[in-house]
Amino acid sequence: MTGPIAQQTSGTSTVQRGGGGGSSSLADVVDLILEKGLVIDIYARVSLVGIEILTVDVRIVVASVDTYLRFAKAVNRLDIAHDGTSQGLPQFVEGMQESGAKKKTRGALEGAGERLKETFGGGSNDDDEDEDKQPARRRSSRKKEDDE
Amino acid sequence: MTSPNEPGEDKTPQYVYGVTRSGASLPADVAGLDDRPVTLVEDGGRCAAVVSDLPAGRPLGERADLVAHQRVLNALLDAGLVVLPFRFGAALSDRGAVRKELLEGNSDRLGQVMDQLEGRVELRLKATYVQDTVLREIMQQEPEVAELSRRLREVPADVADAVYYDQVRLGELIAQAMDRRREHDGQVLLEAAAPAAEAFVRKTPAREEDVLDASFLVRDDRREEFEKAVEKLGQAHTERIRLRLIGPLPPYDFVPEA
Repeated sequence: MTGPIAQQTSGTSTVQRGGGGGSSSLADVVDLILEKGLVIDIYARVSLVGIEILTVDVRIVVASVDTYLRFAKAVNRLDIAHDGTSQGLPQFVEGMQESGAKKKTRGALEGAGERLKETFGGGSNDDDEDEDKQPARRRSSRKKEDDE
Repeated sequence: MTSPNEPGEDKTPQYVYGVTRSGASLPADVAGLDDRPVTLVEDGGRCAAVVSDLPAGRPLGERADLVAHQRVLNALLDAGLVVLPFRFGAALSDRGAVRKELLEGNSDRLGQVMDQLEGRVELRLKATYVQDTVLREIMQQEPEVAELSRRLREVPADVADAVYYDQVRLGELIAQAMDRRREHDGQVLLEAAAPAAEAFVRKTPAREEDVLDASFLVRDDRREEFEKAVEKLGQAHTERIRLRLIGPLPPYDFVPEA
């Protein structure tokens, strides 16, 4: 076993290594486990056992209002760091966050995010947390039925 | 249903992790779902199924279940065994069914896939922009972004709601600029890593700031070469792109889907 080694950067390396076996690196492979690999139905049919599988849809919507606002906020923050202009900008940015269509989108996404976190538990390393924060679309509860 | 079981063999439903070569010696300490012992089912052919009892009375898919699935397969991989991973959630009614249905009819087919994958592992490369670096770059190179950002900065906080859609627009422009960069940068990374691999699969990156998400099938004797190529990439792009190399993994992306 490779142990819990999701994050380790050796002295000279610029490439972060993630292990395949440690539980802390689940976020790196969860889509493979759920979406890739041999499918049992193709090899066996009669004796399939129908089991209920709880999974999250690991695909994430790439472009969303939330993503855009995050970028806008980040670029504004950049400016502050750069030329130190405009006092009170942080408040302004916070104000933006609370406003408008956010109310429509954020609630649902947060709900999904919470459930994702629940399922995956509290990852202790940065990367896991990072992954947890991403807005998972929904949690699907699929039933694998015996098709015979 | 006629029983395909050997005399005295129990009828506990079996969870199937993957397939390996018959006669393989499993690592001693590997534990499956709910820490159940992992065993092989063989039918006298080329292949053996890697199984454990299926936990009864609850749905599968908790974090611990996914970890167990991955742990079992990786333990075989770490022991130097060729392993064809099954997708999470494969279960058959008992050991006899695994032998008769999964192995007997498919031994040659699975054996051929194993021959192709023997001595190879999957390595997954994820690349992400260093956000501040690439945002600065976009601010410098995209006049429209710089201008809109400058304009929005001057809007007082009490009328912030009025420019909500301009903020969205700013973010959208940034996302588009990032897309254009990703297309180029992702290709550069892919082309630099691919020559040391036998095959690769490019996935759709999950987040806007991801540059590349690709899995490579790499021969054991070329792993060092591959990792050096990735390391070189990491050094070359260290200012603006972070690389993360995951694995070795079972060849999830390189087994046939049908």
